[in-house]
Amino acid sequence: MKAAVKRRRNWAGWLFVLPAAAFYVVFVIQPLFMTVQYSLYKWDGIGVATWTGFQNYLKVFTDPDLFAAIFNAVKLIAFFSAVPVVLGLAIAATIRRIATSRLALVARTVIFLPQVIPLVAAGITWSWLLSSTGLVNQLLTYIGLEKITRAWLGDFSTALPAVGVIGAWVLLGLCTLLLLAGMSKIDPALYEAARLDGAGPFREFFSITLPSLRQEIGVCVTVTVVAALASFDIVYISTQGGPGNASMVPGLEIYYLAFSERQVGLASALAVVLTALVIACALPIQWLTRDRT
Amino acid sequence: MKSARREAFTGRVLLIVLMAATLMPFISLFVTALHPSGTYPLGLEWPDDPQWGNFATAFTAAKMTELLKSSALIVLGVVPISLVVATMAGFAIGHLRIPGRRIVFVVFLLGLTLPFEGIITPLYYLVRDMGVLNTRWAIILPLIGLFMPFSVFWMRAHFINMPEELSESARIDGAGTWQLFWKVHVPLAAPATSSLAILLFLWTWNQFLLAIVLVDDPLQRTMSGALGAFQGQWGTDIPLLCAGSLLILTPTLLVFLIFQRRFVTALLQGSLKG
Amino acid sequence: MVVILGGSLAAACAAPGSGNAQPTAAASSAPASSAPTCGTEPITLKGYFETGFPIAKALTDEFTKQHPNVTWDIREDQFAVITQNAPRVLADDPPDLMRLPQVSELVKNNLLKNLDDYAKQFGWDKWPASQLEQMRLAPGGAVRGEGSLYAMGLNFSMTGVFYNKKLAEQIGMTTPPETLADLDAALAKAKEAGLAPIAQFNGGATGGLAFPLQNLMASYGPSAPINEWIYQKPGATIDTPSNLQATQHLEKWIKAGYFWKDVNAVDYATMMSRFMKGDGLFMFDGDWESGNLDKQMAGNAGFFLMPPVQAGGKRAAMSAPLTFGIGANAKNADCAAFYLDWVATDTKARTIGVQIGGSHPMGPADAPMPPVAAGTVTESTLGAGAQIAKDNGSMDFIANATGAIYAKSWTPNLQKLVGGEQTPEGLLKSVQSDYQTQVQGG
Repeated sequence: MKAAVKRRRNWAGWLFVLPAAAFYVVFVIQPLFMTVQYSLYKWDGIGVATWTGFQNYLKVFTDPDLFAAIFNAVKLIAFFSAVPVVLGLAIAATIRRIATSRLALVARTVIFLPQVIPLVAAGITWSWLLSSTGLVNQLLTYIGLEKITRAWLGDFSTALPAVGVIGAWVLLGLCTLLLLAGMSKIDPALYEAARLDGAGPFREFFSITLPSLRQEIGVCVTVTVVAALASFDIVYISTQGGPGNASMVPGLEIYYLAFSERQVGLASALAVVLTALVIACALPIQWLTRDRT
Repeated sequence: MKSARREAFTGRVLLIVLMAATLMPFISLFVTALHPSGTYPLGLEWPDDPQWGNFATAFTAAKMTELLKSSALIVLGVVPISLVVATMAGFAIGHLRIPGRRIVFVVFLLGLTLPFEGIITPLYYLVRDMGVLNTRWAIILPLIGLFMPFSVFWMRAHFINMPEELSESARIDGAGTWQLFWKVHVPLAAPATSSLAILLFLWTWNQFLLAIVLVDDPLQRTMSGALGAFQGQWGTDIPLLCAGSLLILTPTLLVFLIFQRRFVTALLQGSLKG
Repeated sequence: MVVILGGSLAAACAAPGSGNAQPTAAASSAPASSAPTCGTEPITLKGYFETGFPIAKALTDEFTKQHPNVTWDIREDQFAVITQNAPRVLADDPPDLMRLPQVSELVKNNLLKNLDDYAKQFGWDKWPASQLEQMRLAPGGAVRGEGSLYAMGLNFSMTGVFYNKKLAEQIGMTTPPETLADLDAALAKAKEAGLAPIAQFNGGATGGLAFPLQNLMASYGPSAPINEWIYQKPGATIDTPSNLQATQHLEKWIKAGYFWKDVNAVDYATMMSRFMKGDGLFMFDGDWESGNLDKQMAGNAGFFLMPPVQAGGKRAAMSAPLTFGIGANAKNADCAAFYLDWVATDTKARTIGVQIGGSHPMGPADAPMPPVAAGTVTESTLGAGAQIAKDNGSMDFIANATGAIYAKSWTPNLQKLVGGEQTPEGLLKSVQSDYQTQVQGG
């Protein structure tokens, strides 16, 4: 009897999920299926679409420009992900001991700023810093490296790395603070024991700090990898994918294809590939690093 | 203990370098904004005659009051609805333990890392067919949906830790599920919902892709989308662009500085949970 | 809300686009006995204009002064944004009057009003035919340059080479170059003198090296085949021997360091600002800047048409109307058409067109020309127009061949040419292959 009442009550609980589910289904799940559907058609977004099967996917993987865009996103991982995580670890490990000082509290606020401002603003600011008369070149000239000054975002060999630097700047603060928060949870007794064993800072780092931070590192990597693969705002503002296609990324290519070239089918195929790529990268990282307690 | 002091010293130096690297772009932006409009100053060079008026010019040129209003309206659309809807769902999945909750939860989880670009094309046609293209609803409605996975995830994490006894005693007092939710659980969830509100505010305010695709008029967009348009229109006048960018940054910076503790905690937790 | 959500779910199952009401092909209302007007009732025209061109605003203000019942609801965007938005805006939220990008695809999709009836009623068809040629399209938008009229110009512009007179003096250039070799010599001298020989933009999504390139194409070969390519005549190709020579010549200029080192990061406005500050001897650009240059570098700016390879050869230039169109489903089409006619025929409007727009007004051949001060750039660009008309050397812009050819083909390829990542041969082949895909509707 009681069980029956409880079950009835629980089914009623579905009413609570309904509004959330409705928004989610209409504005996420449905468009997801529509993207898959569009990707099988050739459609200019206005007239009637024609069925083309997997033609668009074939193009995504064979067209050198489109494939280069995907590859660029993968290269951006080095900047968006590797730099903030490695540098963040180093910084967090160094400032761990003074994490509660007043300076550190101020720093906590300051290095968080890039995470708070719109990416668009970061893009505008850095476009200016990296321009031919910008601060970066000014500094380089000052230290005698005038030879290598250039319009960093307009040069074939440096445009993509320059975009990467912007991403690294944005994400470094978040990673550092996340890792620092993780470190503060490590039992200090572990470090004391290690010191007594005569371990230096390096061994301490590799045998205590790093293993304890599995989850935080996992989060940093996931967040930054997704940010790299799905980058749009920064590239849109700073290079528009140029020069040539040197800094084109899938997100921007989807936007161009769908809304300016009106190849909605092709754009959708690329969107499906991008989504799959993001999920394929995010899931295993989560799986490997989650601590399942 | 000598090594500890040396470590603390390197730590301080590193912190200062890090802060300088973070702040330098903002300083460059600020200094540039003070140069006479239309000039091409060097990256960091204090002007002979600081043009404080540039900020006023940019304020008018960017139609800041209208932009603020527009962004505020969008935030007001997204955040309250998301909070209510997500809290209800989190309550049902995390606390009521409805049948099939696992599947529902996994389906929501799938949306967590979804790149917005992945569905932006159909969203355009969807929003157009609803007749809300080029209105603020075109940003508000999809954003609620897009933020839903995280919001539900966040609220579930709160409710899953709420002891069963809490509800049992309320039920004994004769409360229905609806009353139980509003009278007992919503007040208790305040820390979780307020952190979520901060995150949603920030993500909405800074949303760019949806703003530029779904709304053509910069004055109906989010701050971020408007900034994109501002760059398009004034990108040619570097000092003015810098002044405008700084102005557009100011609201988020202010909110951040006022709620900084909460912000940092919320964002850190947010990414940890996400 | 529930209704909206439910409805949209139901619509999601059919093939994309099948549910759309297709705008019906432009059968504009039966020719009235007299030309339409804006009437006397209050009316609001919805406009979609390009940012940074004060002429549109000046004209609409003047129009409202003369016709107080007409007010304007104007939205502005950069040209690149308009190009991206045009089909969507015309289909989903059609303006009465819109600054148009390349029109072929818009006509193919029946998004623009056919203006033939208006042309008859207002007598546009009696104007010099060359003014309207670029805005005519064969049925279905297949070929441009013939057929029905789908757009009108506010004026028509002329491109060539601007130069800084002071800098020219400095290198001893007293008269504009007569041949391409003269121009090359001047460039070399400027380089030697430590000046920036050419001010040009090539950054972002707009490859401005297309200006010098097309001018070089016009020097090396006849302009007709280039026009045929732009008009999408079947079998037309950009990959011709004379165009290859032109592209190689451009590459020579790049390698010689005649452009700014950061040209791939310079946008249009930066170019203008630097040129006006004296950074650059020559600048390939159009007469829409004449008024601006007369104001900002009064007396110091000159203009000449791109010189031919042989002395005394025919001159050619990119010349195109500042095109505006009327949405196929526009609410106030008649009033918009009346406005377009007014721009070309009203004396005050023509004066605005020249003084603010800097370009030649549209309209009948015998319409009065507004006075222009002697010695100004505006005078020389207007004069150049006469020469081009004589030589029959007017070309549309190679960036206008298809809607996407500029941003997605010319620009990246020209940027690659600057970066040494593309050869002249490869550039033309790549553009031609993109063109073919786009013309077939990729």
